[in-house]
Amino acid sequence: MNFPAAARTSAPYVSTRRPLSRRRFLQGAGIALSLPFLDSMLPTFARAQGSSNPLAPGAKPRRMFGICNNLGLLSDQFFPTGTGRDYTLSPYLQHLRGQRGDFSVFSGVSHPNVDGGHPADICFLTAAPHPGSSSFRNTISLDQHIAERIGILTRFPSLTLGVNTRTRSLSWTGTGVAIPPEDKAAEVFKQLFLQGTPAQIEAQVRKLDTGRSILDTVAGQAKDLERNVTARDRDRLDQYFTSVRDLEHRLQASKGWERKPKPTVKARMPVDPASPAAYMEKVKVMYDLARLSFETDSTRAITLMLDSVSTPVLEIPDVTITDGYHNLSHHGKSETKRSQLKVIDELHMKLLAKLIDDFKSIREGEDTLLDRTMVLYGSNFGDANQHVCTNMPTILAGGGFKHGQHLAFDTMRNYPLPNLFVSMLQRIGIEESSFASSTGTMRGLEMA
Amino acid sequence: MRRRSNSSHGAVRPRLPLLAFAATLAFFSAFAAAAPLPAPTGEFVEKYCAKCHNDVDKESGFDLTSLAYTPGDPANFQQWVKVHDRVQAGEMPPKEKARPAAGDADAFLRSLATALTTDEREKTVREGRATQRRLNGYEYENALRDLFSAPWLQVKGQFPDDGEAHRFNKVGEALDVSHVHMMRYMGAADYAMRQVMSVQLERPATTTTRYYARDQRTLTGKFAGNIFNTSPDRMTYPVIGSTAQPDVRHGQAPVTVGNTDPKTRDLEAVGWVSSNYVTGFTYRWDSFRVPVAGRYRIRFSGYTLWASPGGTTKSFANEKDRTGKVRPPNPAVPDYDRISPGRRNEPITVYTRNGVMNRRVGEFDLTPEPAVYDIGEVWLLANETLVPDASRLYRSRPNNFKNPLMTPEGAPSVAFRWMEVDGPLYDETSGSGYQLLFGDLPLKKVSKGGVTISSVARKVQREDGRNAGQRVVPLEETGVEVESKAPRPDAERLLRNFLARAYRRPVVAADVARFLALFDDRRKAGLSFTESMMAMYTAVLASPGFVFLDEKPGRLDDYALATRLALFLTNSEPDPVLRAHAAAGDLGRPDVLRAETERLLTDRKSQRFVEAFLDYWIDTRKIEDTTPSTTLYNDYYLDDALTEAALRETQLFFADLLQHDLPARNLIDSDYTFVNERLALHYGITDVKGAAMRRVQLPPDSPRGGLITQASVLKITANGTTTSPVLRGKWIAERILGLEIPPPPAAVPAVEPDIRGAVTIRQQLDKHRADKSCAACHQKIDPTGFALESFDIMGAWRDHYRAADPEKPALKGIGKNGQPFAFHYSLPVDSAGALPDGRPFANIRDFKKLVREGEDSVARNLAKQLVIFATGAPVRFCDRPELDTILRAARSREYGVRSLVHAIVQSDLFRNK
Repeated sequence: MNFPAAARTSAPYVSTRRPLSRRRFLQGAGIALSLPFLDSMLPTFARAQGSSNPLAPGAKPRRMFGICNNLGLLSDQFFPTGTGRDYTLSPYLQHLRGQRGDFSVFSGVSHPNVDGGHPADICFLTAAPHPGSSSFRNTISLDQHIAERIGILTRFPSLTLGVNTRTRSLSWTGTGVAIPPEDKAAEVFKQLFLQGTPAQIEAQVRKLDTGRSILDTVAGQAKDLERNVTARDRDRLDQYFTSVRDLEHRLQASKGWERKPKPTVKARMPVDPASPAAYMEKVKVMYDLARLSFETDSTRAITLMLDSVSTPVLEIPDVTITDGYHNLSHHGKSETKRSQLKVIDELHMKLLAKLIDDFKSIREGEDTLLDRTMVLYGSNFGDANQHVCTNMPTILAGGGFKHGQHLAFDTMRNYPLPNLFVSMLQRIGIEESSFASSTGTMRGLEMA
Repeated sequence: MRRRSNSSHGAVRPRLPLLAFAATLAFFSAFAAAAPLPAPTGEFVEKYCAKCHNDVDKESGFDLTSLAYTPGDPANFQQWVKVHDRVQAGEMPPKEKARPAAGDADAFLRSLATALTTDEREKTVREGRATQRRLNGYEYENALRDLFSAPWLQVKGQFPDDGEAHRFNKVGEALDVSHVHMMRYMGAADYAMRQVMSVQLERPATTTTRYYARDQRTLTGKFAGNIFNTSPDRMTYPVIGSTAQPDVRHGQAPVTVGNTDPKTRDLEAVGWVSSNYVTGFTYRWDSFRVPVAGRYRIRFSGYTLWASPGGTTKSFANEKDRTGKVRPPNPAVPDYDRISPGRRNEPITVYTRNGVMNRRVGEFDLTPEPAVYDIGEVWLLANETLVPDASRLYRSRPNNFKNPLMTPEGAPSVAFRWMEVDGPLYDETSGSGYQLLFGDLPLKKVSKGGVTISSVARKVQREDGRNAGQRVVPLEETGVEVESKAPRPDAERLLRNFLARAYRRPVVAADVARFLALFDDRRKAGLSFTESMMAMYTAVLASPGFVFLDEKPGRLDDYALATRLALFLTNSEPDPVLRAHAAAGDLGRPDVLRAETERLLTDRKSQRFVEAFLDYWIDTRKIEDTTPSTTLYNDYYLDDALTEAALRETQLFFADLLQHDLPARNLIDSDYTFVNERLALHYGITDVKGAAMRRVQLPPDSPRGGLITQASVLKITANGTTTSPVLRGKWIAERILGLEIPPPPAAVPAVEPDIRGAVTIRQQLDKHRADKSCAACHQKIDPTGFALESFDIMGAWRDHYRAADPEKPALKGIGKNGQPFAFHYSLPVDSAGALPDGRPFANIRDFKKLVREGEDSVARNLAKQLVIFATGAPVRFCDRPELDTILRAARSREYGVRSLVHAIVQSDLFRNK
């Protein structure tokens, strides 16, 4: 039994995997243990054959990658003019002109009643209302909704990543709890690809078993205690009990994967820039890691919080940045600050263009990785300068939709962005008709 | 700049507060049964309310004629409470409509109050006020610290943020548990046990060791520049007394005389003119890494110096170039060959550094006369290093290296000779954590396998170069086992003892059996004795018996009462004395309860209560959430000493009210406060010298005194760039005055502060306030905010706003970061206003005088906040009489804060679930 402290834990979703040194891992590489795990893990409902059921054997893998830059982009530079397929690229979107057919850009969209300024970044994928209010409770995020349903198909149900944050998360469980983001790509890489020796694997399995025994023990006590409490209190103990069972289930799934060899990749272990000032480099490293994770089908849902708010003065070669990112965002219409923000924003656009190209260059069956991966890029802020959470800048690339258009909605009375989430869920094959405050599917967006 | 609430807004429609209920209403109506309204209520509504609030007109979107009475539905219940309160306050029916006859209103209020009270009390009998809850992150951490006698344990950061309700992290409904929490409980318990074992394994002897500045590569590695550091301000220099040592600096003489000449060695110092680049980064003692967590005593030897101007900078060709090309002398940079005695004291803050975590552990005032400064005994964690930070000096930032303190006469500097460490210091609690886990069983290192614990690496590879000593050396792992000759009996004996200490109730047989079964199961699975024991203990510390409070509806039994009292006043589990009272069954006696309250309030652990309460009540935990704008407030940027002093002022002030039972009205205004030199300067108080915080009497005309004009509160309520009277007003109204302000309407855009200075926020707001429907709410919110407009984003007094307009010339001057100021002074501040009742005030002093007269409401609000913190439930409608009783009990002491705490502890609100 060996539950590492969270401080040292790097497991993206469950802390029972302890990071080991690379050398020790490599010694045991190539050990193949077969375990007919998946069939036994599949819930009964999934065994029913259905072409659109993502859990059905042979179903096409469908994935999502949600990225939130929590300081947004200069809106007058980002939003295009004209609508539909003949729209005119904005200065920022010029950097994506080579990918024009691979994405759709949205304007006049936001999460209804998601206000409160900076705290709203954690609602980017949840759309829970009023994040700034004292009674706020967050709700499940899109990626976790997906992970709960199809997470058992991959070694990692989801990956929650961050740049310059280990606290502000895009991924929230159904009980409104944040999953802390991992900000070290190298640690995630180790989890994904470095094999253990048979002894290490057995030790790991024993730890997972110990974890389950502990959980069984405490669950027993919870059940005993539930007998003589009031209904309201029982609800709290029920929640505890559910959490215990939830974790047991995850440990069980981990155990199955523990005995399956990890995929081998040619890519080298990523090097995380040490300084938060190397923000742009960090973003790139995380984009590459996401591609690698999808390419190896290690997970189907990734979130990435770009915590620009916690980012100091950026270090960009040949460019002078004078203020911390956050202070720049409060440009107060100062041209000096805006011009520096433009440099940063344009780098974001270039990295996104490269990500789309990279995803497109990888074949998977008759498709490309991009065809099967929905890349959602956006921000909680329509205008960080004024802390405005309406008119969120939003791009959806890939994933099997008919792209190449500007879906323009009313900038005064916004169209609900959660509708896009419903479309994304349905694209994955999860038959949901609503998510958070949605009113339907995204108008004008069709599956390819 | 993470702000909790929305920006200010314009048009307010009064129907909004009611709209918020609509969705909830629909949800609850499905299962909450409607009850008949008491007769007088129905008649009153028909006669005085229904003309406007009916199903056709729906004045303010509120239709009273079809509002059912369904007390089982919390939202509906709150609607009726609101009806009651608005009629009681005379706000409804409105002044211009027919006023109810006095008897009518009284009868209405009486009958509605009776109905509401009866229903709520009935529910209380069934379920209690509070919902069963788990320990929050603070409490869990403190409980582990106390259980293992390990005050240095850091586990809180491992948990997800706790949910808040009614502003506090103490309310069952918001304290959720997810699989993440389960994982973290297990992880935290496991981590704590390994830490305890690590301390037991090492047990190094107590020593006194001197670590010379000249042996610190972090310090001596900066004598010379390189291509990455060409700024003399960021370099260090060798010095003896006030005599510079150019030969040492230029590498022509050894860095230290070493053991050959102990007398000279004691005098050798290293000097510098900057504070740390980021806290704990630059001037670090790298040769002392705390060998094991525990208590240590730290001393520094040093003095202040003065560096002459006219030094030289060098340009370097590339990374390999160590000599560089000398540029002509520069009056803006210090000359480290021309040093003279110090001309002033320098405040030094001592931090620990270990990876990314910095902790503040002490401070002292370095004087021109060389001296030894003892910061006293401090708790240190394994592998931490120590950093003295000359907080007032230059914190340089690219791209314009210019020391703001450099004058034609020179610049202030500090120099250190050595740091001395006594420790680890042992006392009767040392080792008791291990004792609790494994009794007298020996802990042995094993060469293969075993339980891995982390320890500080002994042998460290020496690194030279420009970053010498800057790397954080990682911990090593050691395998250990606890040896037991009779595993099963040992397990049972140790478990019984452990459960008795960890659980807050007597041990029951079923639990012993439950956890022992786990031990047996793990042994059978092939785990060692130690591993199986740890699995068992992990289960205990993650089990509902430890994690959840156990309170049954009705009067709390003595065990539950002991727990509630401990969580209230020490934010932790009950200590042995409280446990003994619970076991003896006498804690419920009012005199014993009072004595125990008194004992805990006097205990040092009550500091945890003060900090935890303030962290949520007034958000002191968010004091670092905003950064001063480098454009407008460059002088505050990176001024850690100021922010730290501001936070400590608030904590000391509240602790003082509590310790000396001072009246609650002091929250509004007091004739004293706590400051050190930095904060005093900020407040314009001139005669305070030194880094230590102390109580000072304020001059009669001072705008300071009271919580609302403390720098901490004023910083927390601003965003680092601008202030908003609406946000500050709402904040003070809700937290200090106890007024409820409905949330802003969603459709109204925020007022954008204009930082170019053409128009004040007040002028912008006045436009909105001209609208009658806006004024209704804003007259309650804004006055406080207007009075506080005299204070900038860091709480300093201002007569004019600062603004940044590229067209206008900026003020001359250089900020703490070495960058020039970019602001100019623009429009004057107008801090006049009128209270909702019409009484005018000209400024903050007037305002305080007026509000201070309403000391009842300030005390009432404080009591309400304390009740939530102490019981995990708000003061509800039916609790109001009990709150009155609490206030009555403290009235003779002019609502002394300690008296309020006593009255709360004795009240039914506290004594019942």
